[in-house]
Amino acid sequence: MAANYNAEPILKVENLKQHFKVNRNFTVKAVDGVSFEIYPGEIYGLVGESGSGKSTIGRSIIRLYEPTDGKITFKGMDITGKMSRETKETLRTKMMMIFQDPMASLNPRKTIGDIIGEGLDIHHMYPNKIEKQVMINRILQKVGLSADHCNRYPHQFSGGQRQRVGIARALIMNPDLVIADECISALDVSIQAQVVNLLKDIQEETGSSYLFIAHDLSMVKYISDRIGVLHLGHMLETGTTEEIFARPVHPYTKSLISAIPLPNPELERKRVAVSYDYAKSGLDYNVGSNHLVEGTHYVFGTDEQVAEWLK
Amino acid sequence: MKVDEKDKILDIKNLDITFHTSAGDIHAIRGVNIDLYRGETVAIVGESGSGKSVSMKAAMGLLDSNAIINSGEILFSYIDEKGETQTVDILKKDTKWIRKNINGNHMAMVFQDPMTSLDPTMTIGKQITEGMISHLGISKKEAYSRAVELLNEVGIVDAEKRMKNYPHQLSGGMRQRVVIAIALSCNPDLLICDEPTTALDVTIQAMILELILKVQKERGISVIYITHDLGVVAKVADYVNVMYAGRLIEIGNVDEIFYEPAHPYTWGLLSAMPDLETEDSRLYTIPGSPPNLIHEPAGDAFAARNEYALVIDEKEQPPMFRISETHVAATWLLDPRAPKIEMPETLKARIERMRKEAL
Repeated sequence: MAANYNAEPILKVENLKQHFKVNRNFTVKAVDGVSFEIYPGEIYGLVGESGSGKSTIGRSIIRLYEPTDGKITFKGMDITGKMSRETKETLRTKMMMIFQDPMASLNPRKTIGDIIGEGLDIHHMYPNKIEKQVMINRILQKVGLSADHCNRYPHQFSGGQRQRVGIARALIMNPDLVIADECISALDVSIQAQVVNLLKDIQEETGSSYLFIAHDLSMVKYISDRIGVLHLGHMLETGTTEEIFARPVHPYTKSLISAIPLPNPELERKRVAVSYDYAKSGLDYNVGSNHLVEGTHYVFGTDEQVAEWLK
Repeated sequence: MKVDEKDKILDIKNLDITFHTSAGDIHAIRGVNIDLYRGETVAIVGESGSGKSVSMKAAMGLLDSNAIINSGEILFSYIDEKGETQTVDILKKDTKWIRKNINGNHMAMVFQDPMTSLDPTMTIGKQITEGMISHLGISKKEAYSRAVELLNEVGIVDAEKRMKNYPHQLSGGMRQRVVIAIALSCNPDLLICDEPTTALDVTIQAMILELILKVQKERGISVIYITHDLGVVAKVADYVNVMYAGRLIEIGNVDEIFYEPAHPYTWGLLSAMPDLETEDSRLYTIPGSPPNLIHEPAGDAFAARNEYALVIDEKEQPPMFRISETHVAATWLLDPRAPKIEMPETLKARIERMRKEAL
C-alpha cells in the first residue's frame, strides 16, 4: 500500500528531547529537539552514524525511555507523560519493535511458539488455544518459517531465521506502526536482501507504517519512502528518498552518501570519501532553522549556511 | 609496492579441515587453494559459514582444538631477522612455535569487533608496546616512542595522551585504528583483516579502509580481507576468491569478478547488493540458505539454490574451468558440452552501466 499523505499522520514527533544525566555536571543530549511525522502506510527511514541518536528516538517513541521534553502523538493520542489505561493499551498493541540483535532479543529458554504468542497471551487476543496456534502458524508462514519450527528454541536457528522470528513476534499483533531498529545490520548481505524484501512485502500487504532505523544508506534507499538524516541528536535533513539522494544539501548528508561503498572496482579505487567533522566544520546545530529546498525536502541550518550549500 | 619478481608469500595447497562436534563431523573446508604474492591484496568473499574465517585461522595457527586437518599444506614465506627468506609449513609447526615466531611479528590479524579484541583492563599504550617488547626485544622506552609514531600513522590525534587511555574511552573507529596499530607494530609481512569494518559505520568504514590501503602502499605488505561486503572488495582488492560451502568457486582479479562473473553464485551475490542506481523496488535474493556441511552434498553444493543448475550438478562436483590467465570458476556451465547460459539480464544491464560510469 502506498503512503497516504492526505490522512492524519499516524505518528507525530514534535521537538523530542531525550537527555541522559551522567552526573551532576554532565548530561548526554542524545536527542535534542527532533520533529517528524509518519503517515499511514509509509516507511520512514532514519539514518545517521552510531551515537547520532537514531535508536534512542525509536526507544523513546515506544516509551522504553521517558522523554525529557517534547510531544509524541500516536493515532491522535498523546503518549508522552502519564498515559491513561486506554492509551497504554493502544500503544502496547499497535506499536511494535524489531530489535537489532536477534540472539539478544529472543529469550533462549522459550520456544519460538511461546515467544511469538506472548503478546497474544498478555492482551488476551484469542478465544481459545487452537485459534492461537492457527494465528502463530499463519504468521510463521508469512515470514518464511514453517509451522513445525514452533517447538524449537532460538539457538537452533540461523541469524536470518532468528530475525524472522523477531519480525513474526512484532507482526502477529497487527501493529499500525513497526519500529525496526537496525534489524538487518547483524545479517549477511544475501540474508539482508531476503529480510528487506520480506518487510517490504508484508508492509505492502498490511499497509502498516514503518520507522526503519539503519546506518546503511543503500538499504534505506531501497525500503524507505522518506528519509531523515540525524547527527548528534539533531535532524539535519529530511525529504523523500529521491530528493535526498538526488540532491543532498547538508555536508553531513553528502559525506554519508559518499561513504557508501559501490560494487564497482574501477570507480571505487579512485574515489575518496568526503570526510565530515563536526568540530572542524564550524557548524552549530543549536543555531538555525529548517529551510525548504524543494517539495518536502528540508535542510537545517542558518540562512547564510543554507544559501552557501545551495549555491 | 610491486616487486618485479613476484615473490609468493602465502601458498595454501589443498587445505581440507573437518570439525568434530556433538552433532557430527562438519566438513568445513573442502580443498582450498590460495596464493598470495608480496604487496598484493586478496579478498575472500562468502556468506557466514562458508569457511572463509576458518581457512585464515588455519593460516594463523589459531584453529580450535576440535579441528582435524585431513590434508593440505600452508606455506608461509617471511624474511627473518638476518634478512633471509624462510618458508615454513604452518600446519607442521606446533602452536608454541607459531606463537613465538609467526603470530604478531610476521603475520598479524585485525578482527571484526575492536571491543572484544582489545583488553579492557590495559591501557592502549601497554597493548601496543606489549608485542614489540616480546617479539622485537626492544626496550620499553623505545617501544613507547614507536607506539606513539604508530598511533600518529593510523591517524589518531594527541597520540601521547591516548597512550594512557583505556579502550572504553575511545570511539569504535578509534578502537579499530588502535587494533590496526597493534597489528602493524612488529612490521608484519602479511596482514589478515577478518571483517575489519563490519562493526563500524559507513563513514568510519571508508576511513579505515583508506587507512589500511595507505599503510599497505607505504610498507609494501600483503593483505588478506575476509568479508561478505562486495563494496569493500571493490575498494581494496587486487584478487578475489569467492567461497561457498568450504570450497573456492570462483577466483579472478577484481575486474574479472565484478565485470565478467562466471559462477551463478557470484551472479547472485552481485545482484543482491543494493546499488544506488537500480530503480527496482525488490532486491534480488539467492533462494534458500547455505547447506549444512554435516551432510556433505554429493554434487555441486550450490546446486540446490541455483536456478541454472544442470543435471550433472546434482551428481558430480564441477572442476575448476579456466576462463583466462587469472580467472577460474567451478561451474559446469563452463563445460564445452553445457548449454549456453548467460548471466541474468538485469545483472548484465547493471554491469554495462557500471562500466560506463567508470569511464
